[in-house]
Amino acid sequence: MENQNNKITHKSRSFISLQKLKKTPLYIMLGIFGFVALYPLVWMIYTSVKSNGDISISSFALPTKFHFENYSNAWETAKIGVYFFNSAFVSIISIVITILVGASAAFILSKFEFKLRKFVYTLFIVGMLIPLQSVLVPLFIQMRSLHLLDTEWSLILSYTAFGLPVTIFVLESFMRGFPDSIIEAAVMDGSSIPRLFFSIIIPMTRPAIATITILNFLNNWKEFSFALIFITSDDKKTLPLGLYNFLGAYTSDYAGLMAALVISSIPVVILYLVLQEQIINGMTAGAVKG
Amino acid sequence: MDLIRRNKKYIILGLFPALLFYLVLVIYPIGRSFYYGFFDWNGLSEPNFIGFENFKEIFTDPVFFLSLKNTMFIVVASVFGQLPIGLVIAVILSRKIKGARFFRSAFFMPMIMSTVVVGLLWSTILNSQVGIVNTILNNIGLEKFAHDWLGDPKYAMYTVSAVIIWQFIGFYMIIFLAALQNIPEEIMEAANIDGAGEVRKLFFITLPMMWDTIMAAVVLCIAGSMRSFDLVFVMTQGGPAHATELMATYMYNKTFSIYRYGYGSAVSLVICLISLGFIVASRVLMEKKNKA
Repeated sequence: MENQNNKITHKSRSFISLQKLKKTPLYIMLGIFGFVALYPLVWMIYTSVKSNGDISISSFALPTKFHFENYSNAWETAKIGVYFFNSAFVSIISIVITILVGASAAFILSKFEFKLRKFVYTLFIVGMLIPLQSVLVPLFIQMRSLHLLDTEWSLILSYTAFGLPVTIFVLESFMRGFPDSIIEAAVMDGSSIPRLFFSIIIPMTRPAIATITILNFLNNWKEFSFALIFITSDDKKTLPLGLYNFLGAYTSDYAGLMAALVISSIPVVILYLVLQEQIINGMTAGAVKG
Repeated sequence: MDLIRRNKKYIILGLFPALLFYLVLVIYPIGRSFYYGFFDWNGLSEPNFIGFENFKEIFTDPVFFLSLKNTMFIVVASVFGQLPIGLVIAVILSRKIKGARFFRSAFFMPMIMSTVVVGLLWSTILNSQVGIVNTILNNIGLEKFAHDWLGDPKYAMYTVSAVIIWQFIGFYMIIFLAALQNIPEEIMEAANIDGAGEVRKLFFITLPMMWDTIMAAVVLCIAGSMRSFDLVFVMTQGGPAHATELMATYMYNKTFSIYRYGYGSAVSLVICLISLGFIVASRVLMEKKNKA
């Protein structure tokens, strides 16, 4: 018996070392893929603290002296600071409206009964399929007739409208899981439907609201096409649009450009490092089901 | 009690704001653009009804066909680039690998970055003067492979596709990784006992078991890459000489640089129909295969 046991452990030990050996090519492949995925980002960070002179001598070399003035220049002179706050303002206001409007629609769609329920739900969900570019021209014409071109509201309203489908989709499926008796119990206690919605339903939906908030924030923060066609004044531009115009205005200030790119990525990267699992789950779950 | 859940006042009150946003900013504009597609309109003067002229022009414009071809190129490059690489990485990461969590986070990182940031970063990296790609090629004696990656019509389309692939690999890696984790371990153990090798296990167990996920990923990838606009617009604006013109950049250039809103509306409608057609067709095809 003991002999047999020894044999097994011996066997499995050689099996493990064989496995380790087998894994070496896997590590090499992973290393190559990892380098290609990460090096551009690392390069962006260290180039942002080089001087333009250093970059033209060797774009590959690490910085010898840290030029943090690239950041203050980008923030002040290239107005990245202004764009940063515009992006934050537009993103946050749209999220608040999207969540309020989307949650109330999701509540009605999940817990109330009426003839057009299925039709209204489908109408919203189809929105996830519409390719964004095919609405650029129509929406531009619409914003022009509403006299909203070149205002923050053109962006806030569009981000809200185009954030609604996925918001309603996620919140509705979450709320559907609540027992119907919640409504009955609340009404028995003499609470009104709006009060029930704000004091019970919204707090219960918190996990789904968190996911959808992150998702909408990332989308709004990154959004470029709408900003490109709606906004023309420099002081109303959001970060993606401001960055896009950077090279035109400051030809060959590559150090400044990299600093500007780093600044605009900081919020999403911090968010990603803190809430990685929620972000990954939110982005992939929404996509697969849609 | 059921009366409350049928109360019209609450139903209307709750749905009204969302419907208002949606109808005013999504449904109505699309309908209106369908209408303007039949007009010659520069945005200022009275629209002038011209019937199917805009559509005729679209389908006889060689640049539009070039843009359609380039869009298809990106779709094909994405499906055959993003998915296989994403799958390979997912399979590697699913083997108890040291640092798997780190690599997983790293590969997903480009996904959360703004496409404008990715576009500008890669434009600089590929820049023929200061870019690192050419610097490296020149330093290791491969000068003849150093090209003007985005400025040369011969290479621009490949370059742009490569950057798109770079950005989205992580997304498909995560989807495949989730599917791999759903394969019951007993099956693999049984295969081990039967003496199946790694390659055999991959092709005869792993891939067939995640086939549904792979099909879903193909559909997603087609739909996603049909939408590419930002990245290409930032890097090349459709140039040089229309070499990277996509349907979306074509629409943008026709509408907003030469003020032809009627024509732009018609192009939008065509893009919408082609994209939806592709998405529906790919879904139907996949479902048929699943049943077979």
